[in-house]
Amino acid sequence: MKRVVIPARHRSRNQAGMFSRRAIDLWSEGPIDMPHKRNPMEAQIRTLTPLELLGPLNDVERKYAPSTLFSAGPMEIPLPRPRVAIIGSRKASAKGLSTAAHIASVLSKREVVIVSGLAEGIDTAAHETAMREGGRTIAVLGTPLNRVYPQKNSQLQQEIMTNHLVISQFPVGYPIQPKNFVMRNRTMALISNASIIVEAGETSGSLHQGWEALRLGRPLFIWKSIVADSSLSWPKKMLRFGALVLTDPKHVLEVLPSSKGISQIVMQI
Amino acid sequence: MQDAYQVMLAIKQDPFGGDPPILMSQRLAKSVQENMSSLPFAYFFQPNTVLVPVPKSSLMLKDTLWVPLRIATALARSGVGSQVDPCLVRITPVRKAASSRASERPKPKDHFASLRVQRRISGPPPNEILLVDDIITRGSTLLGAANRLAEAFPEARIRAFGAMATVSDPADFVALSRPLVGSIQYRPSTEDTIRRP
Repeated sequence: MKRVVIPARHRSRNQAGMFSRRAIDLWSEGPIDMPHKRNPMEAQIRTLTPLELLGPLNDVERKYAPSTLFSAGPMEIPLPRPRVAIIGSRKASAKGLSTAAHIASVLSKREVVIVSGLAEGIDTAAHETAMREGGRTIAVLGTPLNRVYPQKNSQLQQEIMTNHLVISQFPVGYPIQPKNFVMRNRTMALISNASIIVEAGETSGSLHQGWEALRLGRPLFIWKSIVADSSLSWPKKMLRFGALVLTDPKHVLEVLPSSKGISQIVMQI
Repeated sequence: MQDAYQVMLAIKQDPFGGDPPILMSQRLAKSVQENMSSLPFAYFFQPNTVLVPVPKSSLMLKDTLWVPLRIATALARSGVGSQVDPCLVRITPVRKAASSRASERPKPKDHFASLRVQRRISGPPPNEILLVDDIITRGSTLLGAANRLAEAFPEARIRAFGAMATVSDPADFVALSRPLVGSIQYRPSTEDTIRRP
């Protein structure tokens, strides 16, 4: 296993001095260490390149791809396909949570790997539903693998590490900062063959992932109820840049690559 | 048929594939270049042909994956066509044909209205222009784009190349790879197109 050295500039950073009050509030409950820190769990961490995790990337995909990723869990590498991210608000409505669960259920039954960010709300509903349906799920963290955010998802993270896969681009010991989550959202767009925003406000971190999915040329779906919400401006803007309105989770299946690789098929061209 | 659908999805993403792995855009260009002598549309690629990629139906962010540009660039690098000029731009988005019902698909006039030639091709006006697209559905985008280019370059001959064409009836599917020349004709009565084949 490769030893990861954290640059001194990251070790010495004063987090509190760098961010707004709102950003600091985000951390008021703080990420916590995973149980059994610096013992067996860390020994299970695999260090991977994007090539190992996803296969070769084109230049558009390489632009924001992390140079190294860390994973924990039994899922095969390179990752199985297809993979769909279900993302949205941490403070989701009851309707948003049930929609996320419905989408995750439909896709899991069709053997789609559900990707999300382990956050409260929509992410949690997506992960939990995928596992409940006997499907597979990947959590892409904004923290190193030995930390948990939010604290209440400690058990969920442990369960995904034990039976599925957890990925982070941040090495153990990397300082936890709000901007990590923006980077994580881009990585989640890269990992996913398509992304679905179920519910999100004007400043939601999910929007970073949405824009990155559009830049990558990957299908981005926005659930119908937020497109219809006249108080939100971002859905209309994203639709002008190629996002699609999702009215039925089954429509996502039409744009997904098959589980087998494209290599043998393209040889016929 | 299912393989063809997967290839269509792959063309839209320009991933690496095959053994050894190369980009889909490069594979398409390589196929055109290597089979040029037997392709029915070989005469589309003259030494002075300027390749113009077709804009996406949506607006584009900076550094967005633009597959027609990537195919055109790969063709030019393979020695097919003289240069690439991304002079056509989309100034207002239109619905995606592939994800719309037939009745809701944008018509040639909608594409014409939403496209602009934003800069002149360097050097003298081109005599031969080849529009390059990834997937052809009804051909409305190509017809709107060709008319916009004809307005800017009235002396040029304008043709179009698509990496793949859809079939609306699965029974019409013949083979994954079947190079052919066809036509896209404007139908004034319904303001849409007739694509043959």
